Amino acid sequence: MHKKPLSKQIYDARWCYLFVLPCSILTGMFVIYPIGMSWYFSLLDWSGFTKEAKFIGLQNYYEAVNDKFFWDAFIRSFIFMFGTVPVKIVLGFIIAVFLNNQVLKLAPFFRTVIFMPVVTAIAIIGIVMTFVFSPFNGPANKFLMSTNLTSAPIDFLGNPDTVLPTVMGVYVWKWLGITMMYWLAALQTVPQDVYDAAKIDGAEGYRLWIHIILPIVLPFAIVIILVEAVGALNVFPLIETMTAGGPFFSSEVMEIYIFRTAFVTDSGTMPRLGYACAAGVFWGVAVLFITVLQGLWMRRTRRI
Amino acid sequence: MKKKKELKISRRTVMKGALAAGAMMSAGSIPSKLFAGEFNIPDPLKPLPTTGGNMRWIDSGDMKGVFWKKLFPEYAASRGITIEYDGLPWKEINKIVPIAIRNGTVHDVFQLPIGMDPGVAVSEGWVQPWDDYIENIDEWLGAFPSGVYLPGVNQFNGKTYGTCLTANKRTGTCLLYSEKYMSEAGYDPQAGRMTYSEIRDAAKKITKNGNGQYYGWIIGGNQVNRWEDVVHTFGQVGGAHSGRGGFTNRHINFQNGKFQIASDQYMEAVELLLQLKSDGSAFPGVMSMNAPQARALMPQGAAGMIFQGPWCIGVWGRDAPNWKYGIASEPVPDGKEAQPLYIAEGGSNTFWLSANSTMGPFAGDLIRFMGTEQGQIYWAQTVGAADPAVNPDAVAKAGLTGPSAQALAMFAENILVGPNPIVRNKDVGIVAAKSRVPDPSLALVIQGLYTGQLKGVEAQLKDCNQRYEDALDKAVEEARADGANVTRDDWVFPNWDVYSNYGAEKYQEI
Repeated sequence: MHKKPLSKQIYDARWCYLFVLPCSILTGMFVIYPIGMSWYFSLLDWSGFTKEAKFIGLQNYYEAVNDKFFWDAFIRSFIFMFGTVPVKIVLGFIIAVFLNNQVLKLAPFFRTVIFMPVVTAIAIIGIVMTFVFSPFNGPANKFLMSTNLTSAPIDFLGNPDTVLPTVMGVYVWKWLGITMMYWLAALQTVPQDVYDAAKIDGAEGYRLWIHIILPIVLPFAIVIILVEAVGALNVFPLIETMTAGGPFFSSEVMEIYIFRTAFVTDSGTMPRLGYACAAGVFWGVAVLFITVLQGLWMRRTRRI
Repeated sequence: MKKKKELKISRRTVMKGALAAGAMMSAGSIPSKLFAGEFNIPDPLKPLPTTGGNMRWIDSGDMKGVFWKKLFPEYAASRGITIEYDGLPWKEINKIVPIAIRNGTVHDVFQLPIGMDPGVAVSEGWVQPWDDYIENIDEWLGAFPSGVYLPGVNQFNGKTYGTCLTANKRTGTCLLYSEKYMSEAGYDPQAGRMTYSEIRDAAKKITKNGNGQYYGWIIGGNQVNRWEDVVHTFGQVGGAHSGRGGFTNRHINFQNGKFQIASDQYMEAVELLLQLKSDGSAFPGVMSMNAPQARALMPQGAAGMIFQGPWCIGVWGRDAPNWKYGIASEPVPDGKEAQPLYIAEGGSNTFWLSANSTMGPFAGDLIRFMGTEQGQIYWAQTVGAADPAVNPDAVAKAGLTGPSAQALAMFAENILVGPNPIVRNKDVGIVAAKSRVPDPSLALVIQGLYTGQLKGVEAQLKDCNQRYEDALDKAVEEARADGANVTRDDWVFPNWDVYSNYGAEKYQEI
């Protein structure tokens, strides 16, 4: 069969291209262009707001990979991810299983309660939580002391040993509702006949869940894990409002590190946008790498 | 039908009111300017545009904000404009202003982030001179004390780019204390400057008396500059003579041009902070609060002492008028005489006019008024010692009393003008623009020592000192590569007598 020339193919599909055009322009302006510019800026010695910018090749990258604080923040980001995602996935699943039960009359109420933190502004939650965990009259400490669980107030956000777990806990609480919703959506794809058939075959309780339901929702699990993992690597507003990365870098994740070097130096000297871009590009590639790995894992699981 | 209640004012009530108002005015306890609508704003020296508009203004707030919020509505009404004011902590200024400059939305009048070289702001074209907007500017400048307006500091290319309404003769680490707790502990800081041992002992006793309800000492520990400010000033009081200001001044002993971070005096000051913690005298939540939060807890009775600035006076006066507190000079190491503190020449709270601003005529008119003696009196009466008015005659006429007057007297006694390398050589400004405080900064090192994440005061301060030396060397080298005529010798002032002001004649000598 004779193939149409490309120009003819494009002309024939002109309406499709026309409809794609606005989205392509916006993607180019707000995604492709900033990514490209950040790659370019990462090769400059530039504060970001003076005219003077010097091309220095890969020197920013060299400096970043030799900076202890860069790697500390890098590792801390992954600690945050590995510390929160499994908890959210498991807790979200358990809650979804309970709330998916049609017999439970108050399920919509509990769903709403658990989902409420998701729709609350994250900066507000961050600020309110600093009061909740305050060692001076904070409700968390008041509870611990009134129940004799501690004899002295705990400085949750000021102690390097407790700050990251505390922020992680708040993060899990804040976003648990969305994980629950993902799981509920997944569970509602399981047809009722499957439950009925399983029960007739004598599969009940944990056997029903392990051997029947879980294999059905597993592909959803991988998508949920992927979304949750990327989400847990983007926690700037919560940490900035709760601790700003302190005390002494104890809760500084990569986004805070990039922000600190790009815009704000505590000591007030010139920021380093070029260096921050190099750190950002490095970080972006690392996140992309993880996303690709998860994508491959998902394809493999689907084949199984 | 219920009869509408009528407002009845008897002759007796009117007489009582008049007598009360008269008594207040004659006692002078509340200056007349505190009543809204009583600023006597003069007419502009030349006609202002009649087009109106909105003027946006950002600065570091505190008592400045209190004053501006009273004045701005009146001024705006008198000139037919609106004024949008943002008073924010320095931490926020450091974030917002660079981003706003970068995207062209900076306020009409703003303060530069801490440590940013004004020369860069001028050369990059972010700001415009005030000369066209302040009528008879030469005469206006002549009314300020010498040393406030200086080439390379706020004047460039023969024009005035930065305006200062306040003096920088103050410290941010005075001893502020609860009179009740301190007296129960058996100490009276008004009897004389306290020593480190006395501070430690007083903090222990207050904590013991508090029995878990209050503690000896508090600091806004997650605001890292507080750690550096305390150690720097205490170090100076102990005898580590050094400059104040940005990276190219702070911690440098101008006798030899070297950083003082690893000096014995700095180490002693850090040790004092660590001892307050190890004694159990520190408020337990210091690492999760900033300076304003720590300050707000003092009148609530959470702690007995805080090392803070005179800006607390106005805030406490407004928020906790019945709370009794005292202000005293920074403590001194045991067995030592307190040494002077130093400021660089120039004023403080410099205001810059955005190059994109179309509100220059109004901003200039307002700044001109605030620089007059009447404007300075208004300022002094509201702001007091928090940001002292730059005109000493106006301060004297403002009739300040209580802690404000005491703080100003204390600053006058303790603070001298020290050398400023940028006044000696304007190319030092290029070094300032190139310089970067190394990671971790001194502020973070002290915070890390306090939390226990870093070990060994001496080793950490020595490392930090070396990092600062290397950073300054690198900045000088880069500035020289760009054509600046500058060396590390520009930081050495061999004729600096640490017990006297370093004035114009001293610069001429070298």
